[in-house]
Amino acid sequence: MRTDGPVIRDRLLGFADTLEQSAEADVSALGPELHLLTFQLEREEYGLPITRVREVIRVTDITRVPQAPPHVRGVTNLRGRILAVVEIRSRLGLEPAVVTPASRIVVVEAHGRVLGLLVDRVSRVTKVPGESVAPVPDDVRSTDADYLTGVARWDSRLIILLDLDRVLLLNR
Amino acid sequence: MSKSENPFGELLQDYIVECLPLAEQIADTFVALERQWRAGEAGDEILASVKGRLHTVKGNSAMMGLTPMQDLAHALEDACALLSGLPASRDKEAAELLVGGAGLLVDLIRDAATRTDRSAAGRFVERVRRFLASAAGREAKPAEDRRHGERRTVGRSRESADTASSVVRVDFRRLDALLEVLGEGLIQHSSLVDLYRRLLRRVGPCTEIGELDLAVVTLEKTLKRLEATLMETRLLPVSTVIGRFPRMVRDIAQAEGKTVRVEMTGGETALDKAVLDRLGEPLLHLVTNAVVHGIEQPEERKAAGKSAEGVLRLDAASVSGRIVIRVADDGRGLNEAAIRAKAEALGLEEKAIDGAQLYSLIFVSGLSTAEGVSKLAGRGVGLDVVAGAIHGLGGTIDVTSQEGVGTAFTLSLPVTLAIVRSLIVEVDRERYAVPLTHVAETVRAEPEAIREINHRGVTQWRGDLIHVADGGAILGTGSSAGAPRRFYVVMTAGAKRRGLMVDRLIGHQDIVVKGLDPSLGRPDVVSGTTILGDGRVACILDVVRILDGAGHAN
Repeated sequence: MRTDGPVIRDRLLGFADTLEQSAEADVSALGPELHLLTFQLEREEYGLPITRVREVIRVTDITRVPQAPPHVRGVTNLRGRILAVVEIRSRLGLEPAVVTPASRIVVVEAHGRVLGLLVDRVSRVTKVPGESVAPVPDDVRSTDADYLTGVARWDSRLIILLDLDRVLLLNR
Repeated sequence: MSKSENPFGELLQDYIVECLPLAEQIADTFVALERQWRAGEAGDEILASVKGRLHTVKGNSAMMGLTPMQDLAHALEDACALLSGLPASRDKEAAELLVGGAGLLVDLIRDAATRTDRSAAGRFVERVRRFLASAAGREAKPAEDRRHGERRTVGRSRESADTASSVVRVDFRRLDALLEVLGEGLIQHSSLVDLYRRLLRRVGPCTEIGELDLAVVTLEKTLKRLEATLMETRLLPVSTVIGRFPRMVRDIAQAEGKTVRVEMTGGETALDKAVLDRLGEPLLHLVTNAVVHGIEQPEERKAAGKSAEGVLRLDAASVSGRIVIRVADDGRGLNEAAIRAKAEALGLEEKAIDGAQLYSLIFVSGLSTAEGVSKLAGRGVGLDVVAGAIHGLGGTIDVTSQEGVGTAFTLSLPVTLAIVRSLIVEVDRERYAVPLTHVAETVRAEPEAIREINHRGVTQWRGDLIHVADGGAILGTGSSAGAPRRFYVVMTAGAKRRGLMVDRLIGHQDIVVKGLDPSLGRPDVVSGTTILGDGRVACILDVVRILDGAGHAN
């Protein structure tokens, strides 16, 4: 599964590019299916290509790092390695997360580094047909549309597709 | 065995212990050199770096009366010297000669206590002599050299076949990986200790608990031994960095119209490669500064009654667990008046009357006293950057100077970066590690003992007044003043001291330093992270920068 990762990512990024050029992009170019890990932030469901996700871990202690940027919640111990945990909610314009037993850290790879995203709840892995993906409609634009690649309407769900590379460009 | 032989046996053992690693490094270096030459590179730095070690081996062998090793090291020295001057002779044959000779040197030193037949050394010295003679001739008549070269390669001696017997070349990243594993082991050990304590509290003393205690202590000892051995394999002599300086100094001095002699001691002092790698640049900066700004023009020196030739001293030594490197010149010294004027112009309100404090101002950004921007130094990168780099290594830098006599920079560095014995403290329920090298004392804070002067806490400590800062304020824990903090830690770096108020002292622990992820930005009050026994992550305080004022704006 890992080997087809870059292909899907490239297509997603390519798709994002075509969105910028024309709103009537041919979404069927995405191919037959997307495998998404979906998670919840507030009321909305977000999705990441499963190929970008290394694992999902429970939230143990997150240590605050003095003077760290506001979007970094802190660091945690991932089997002896230090993992920086990103407050993805505040990145998307939401209030910082309150950690509950349902909270999880989604460990992803971006910009050559391994980072954790603190999310409210992880739903499941979902397969979504490529043609169900559409440009970001105005009603989801409450969050920063810059960080989204599109939305998938499938099975009476609305899954917002995150642009991982952009949302994790933390020095912006 | 008679009594009188014993001291010699011990000496011989010392000789082997000291010289064998050197010889092995020489052999290693020549192998690297061979590779460089094959790739068409000059390898000047490598050639220069090996001289110090050869010299040491030669000297030690002479002291022990081991003439064959002495002659062999001498012959290799000569070969290096010749090859530095004759780039055209750096061929396969020359490389084989060096590698073979170093291999023989390793064998002879390793077996110094048992082997009596050392005639191979004599034969090898002969071979070097022939090579030197022909190389010198060859340089004059380049056309002839090929035929000569071929004939002699046939007789490639069997010494070189023995070379790699005990020297294994390992990618340094593997040593890093090993260290990582050791670090995990240390963390797991601390969690065992934690578990043991909780168990003891629950079930109370019994035989099994006693045995568990013993097992945990034994495990710690084993891990310590593993750590010591691993650290040793990561060590490289300082000469790998400073060995190239004499040549560089020569070139810089020449460009400046000066002559400068470099004197070095302690080149064999060993440091973790991770430290050494980050030490080269700051050291080179100090050396360049000394030659360009410190040492005067020959006429000026003569007028001042000094020798026309300047002297730059590089001394390295291991002092109570730390490495001290001194860069000293016999130049004009720091210009006290100029520093004072600059400091005033910059509005540095320092009441620094005495010399030491005044001189330490040269590490402050924007305070370079060099009048003109010279070709090689003072290009905007100043001593503040040097000091920053040294602090980043957990080291300190101090300067002493006397006008007309010279300037000396003293660097004190940790031998290794990776594992640091630390005091674990708690501030507003957050835990932090304070490297013990920076902890002078921990003191129970009596509320009446700390007074406020100019909105800063001050207390009497060992007869002096020192500032005491609140840990929560420095670290931005965000909690407003709750219960008064119960302890303060007296932190030191160089001559600076300051107390840090904390809530609890958790204890001492060997921590494995882990870096800060780039996404954490560049905090200046913490220098890294570590994992504690309970699996939680703690930040490591950057004491040097806190003492420099970091975090006080929080």
